[in-house]
Amino acid sequence: MAVAIAAARVWRLNRGLSQAALLLLRQPGARGLARSHPPRQQQQFSSLDDKPQFPGASAEFIDKLEFIQPNVISGIPIYRVMDRQGQIINPSEDPHLPKEKVLKLYKSMTLLNTMDRILYESQRQGRISFYMTNYGEEGTHVGSAAALDNTDLVFGQYREAGVLMYRDYPLELFMAQCYGNISDLGKGRQMPVHYGCKERHFVTISSPLATQIPQAVGAAYAAKRANANRVVICYFGEGAASEGDAHAGFNFAATLECPIIFFCRNNGYAISTPTSEQYRGDGIARGPGYGIMSIRVDGNDVFAVYNATKEARRRAVAENQPFLIEAMTYRIGHHSTSDDSSAYRSVDEVNYWDKQDHPISRLRHYLLSQGWWDEEQEKAWRKQSRRKVMEAFEQAERKPKPNPNLLFSDVYQEMPAQLRKQQESLARHLQTYGEHYPLDHFDK
Amino acid sequence: MAVVAAAAGWLLRLRAAGAEGHWRRLPGAGLARGFLHPAATVEDAAQRRQVAHFTFQPDPEPREYALETQSPLPRNFEMGQTQKMNLFQSVTSALDNSLAKDPTAVIFGEDVAFGGVFRCTVGLRDKYGKDRVFNTPLCEQGIVGFGIGIAVTGATAIAEIQFADYIFPAFDQIVNEAAKYRYRSGDLFNCGSLTIRSPWGCVGHGALYHSQSPEAFFAHCPGIKVVIPRSPFQAKGLLLSCIEDKNPCIFFEPKILYRAAAEEVPIEPYNIPLSQAEVIQEGSDVTLVAWGTQVHVIREVASMAKEKLGVSCEVIDLRTIIPWDVDTICKSVIKTGRLLISHEAPLTGGFASEISSTVQEECFLNLEAPISRVCGYDTPFPHIFEPFYIPDKWKCYDALRKMINY
Repeated sequence: MAVAIAAARVWRLNRGLSQAALLLLRQPGARGLARSHPPRQQQQFSSLDDKPQFPGASAEFIDKLEFIQPNVISGIPIYRVMDRQGQIINPSEDPHLPKEKVLKLYKSMTLLNTMDRILYESQRQGRISFYMTNYGEEGTHVGSAAALDNTDLVFGQYREAGVLMYRDYPLELFMAQCYGNISDLGKGRQMPVHYGCKERHFVTISSPLATQIPQAVGAAYAAKRANANRVVICYFGEGAASEGDAHAGFNFAATLECPIIFFCRNNGYAISTPTSEQYRGDGIARGPGYGIMSIRVDGNDVFAVYNATKEARRRAVAENQPFLIEAMTYRIGHHSTSDDSSAYRSVDEVNYWDKQDHPISRLRHYLLSQGWWDEEQEKAWRKQSRRKVMEAFEQAERKPKPNPNLLFSDVYQEMPAQLRKQQESLARHLQTYGEHYPLDHFDK
Repeated sequence: MAVVAAAAGWLLRLRAAGAEGHWRRLPGAGLARGFLHPAATVEDAAQRRQVAHFTFQPDPEPREYALETQSPLPRNFEMGQTQKMNLFQSVTSALDNSLAKDPTAVIFGEDVAFGGVFRCTVGLRDKYGKDRVFNTPLCEQGIVGFGIGIAVTGATAIAEIQFADYIFPAFDQIVNEAAKYRYRSGDLFNCGSLTIRSPWGCVGHGALYHSQSPEAFFAHCPGIKVVIPRSPFQAKGLLLSCIEDKNPCIFFEPKILYRAAAEEVPIEPYNIPLSQAEVIQEGSDVTLVAWGTQVHVIREVASMAKEKLGVSCEVIDLRTIIPWDVDTICKSVIKTGRLLISHEAPLTGGFASEISSTVQEECFLNLEAPISRVCGYDTPFPHIFEPFYIPDKWKCYDALRKMINY
């Protein structure tokens, strides 16, 4: 596929080339034209004894003092398939996905968007305690999910609900987790949006950032040992990539040769912290520093995300090596319901992305130009998706919460004696003081 | 981490005599010659290296251990063929058994491939392959996170943290992730097949960063198990139980016992149950509780008490720190009325405080004296002052004497 060749051309990491030489290749910079290779004329004077013998690096000597300048002005290029109006730029890059699949991509994104609107509102009305929307990043979720096998294991951060949506996680269960009701597979233990689904191979979300990264690497290692023909994908934001766990995960994946896709959603902000305060290098496509094949893609272009993930998956499994995809996108919504982003960014900036470069609009334009969608279907689908969400929402609200005994189980596989005593002590306490507790809302 | 320096320090013994010889050879070292004296008599040399603060005592006879699970095997089993093993060899044996019967099991950490800085993994890479016994980069948070990920897929992960002193970068992965994996997912996911092993406790010269006993930090974390053996026989059985346990476990190995403790250990696998304390000596007047190396200290204190005071001590090895065996300790204190707990870790917030607190709740009216804790001081673990820092038999004996006379 052309993607791989383009990627390889930019990121050739053959054994023969040193890291220094690689960076020299990429940097026109202040020193003028890129140097294509280390000075050859020195070789005729050096005997074999004079070659570097260091175990730590494969490189040639150089006798000129030069610091390598990082290039952030003209960084790693951004791969895209569609322009902002949803038109294919290079027809050979069009994945030519069948109509059903593209419609599934579109409907997953829009259904997610609808669910986000309603659940955000429900938090505002005090019906659920907390929520995080996915506005603007839906393309990163469904584009990548569509390129994976259904059994590929997913480790997420917290803004990847579209992956679950694409895997047909029912609205009822999204809502159940947010409401912590009796249908929640997580048994009501976590804050909203901390989804998990064993059946759909989506590991339960946890709040600490980047902790999933080395875990995903371990899971990939185990998959490799099991000859499972499975890839593990690990999502994280550009903020989480600053954590030590991210560095640990990248390094382990490379040294231990794990079939993993690192998928970074670079959406411009970590709560209020813009990327200019998060890193100084060229984004998160810093894989080459670890020996990892890397690419940067337009995250709002579903086909670009799809193509990159598809190829990364194929090669990760075939070659047992990690791939890093940095999907550039924009967080249109607030960080969460606890955030008001007008405190740190302009409404104009947000509007630009919402109106001019949105994954849903771009795919819609593509659908329209293919003749696979029209205004009538759009209106009907909006109505239908809204109704589906509202139904699930009303049902979720009506259901009771799980029995308070579920506060105590699953700490260990078996309940320790001391914990059982504590459980019994709560039961006795409720017998006397139960009126002061919201027992009516909980399953008996 | 100063792991490389530490490993070098372990392997090299720079003798004062050798250093002085170097000084003599330097030109113009006449001044130095006046200062430095050659290594003197054997007695002086002995004083320079401290004598161990304990004597390892193997258990008198091979024990018979019941298998706790619903296995079809009989309740008690024969020891079978045994071999004299020290602590690190008993660990190797347990790991060997594990990798033999569980094809998913892998061992990883810093320097495990060549056999480990304490030789616990010697021979395993050759026997089981480089995909099963391998080095990781130098990164504890990565080691534990990676181990959790392996365990999430259902495979068995045995992670080594080179010294318990270096476990702290992995604290977030252990406390926030491993311990909570099952609970937070509603039992959809878990990392029960993760075991973390780490050398633990004082060693005579380890100082701040090669001597720590961090069990108290983890005792405060529901969801994990923390286990500490006192001997090679205990180590193998407890480690095998940890590996097979369906919850993430931390197994601390008293490094001072790696070579100092040796006894007959079965070659075949066997399990010693977790969360069960062991009464290793029955008594009627005082209950003494400890774990790891300190068990041998209090065993000696029990002898001293018998000999000098005519006091009969019940000696208990706690073995599992969490979830801990409250019933065995309380049953003993109800009988004796006096409790002394001893550990190397600092006094404040040490695990003795948890035991003390629970026992006074459960056995208040049975107590004849305040519960005594003989622990390390509230300081970092010192180097040259180690003989003064550790809760040795004299401090324990003195505390016991005060309890008896209360």
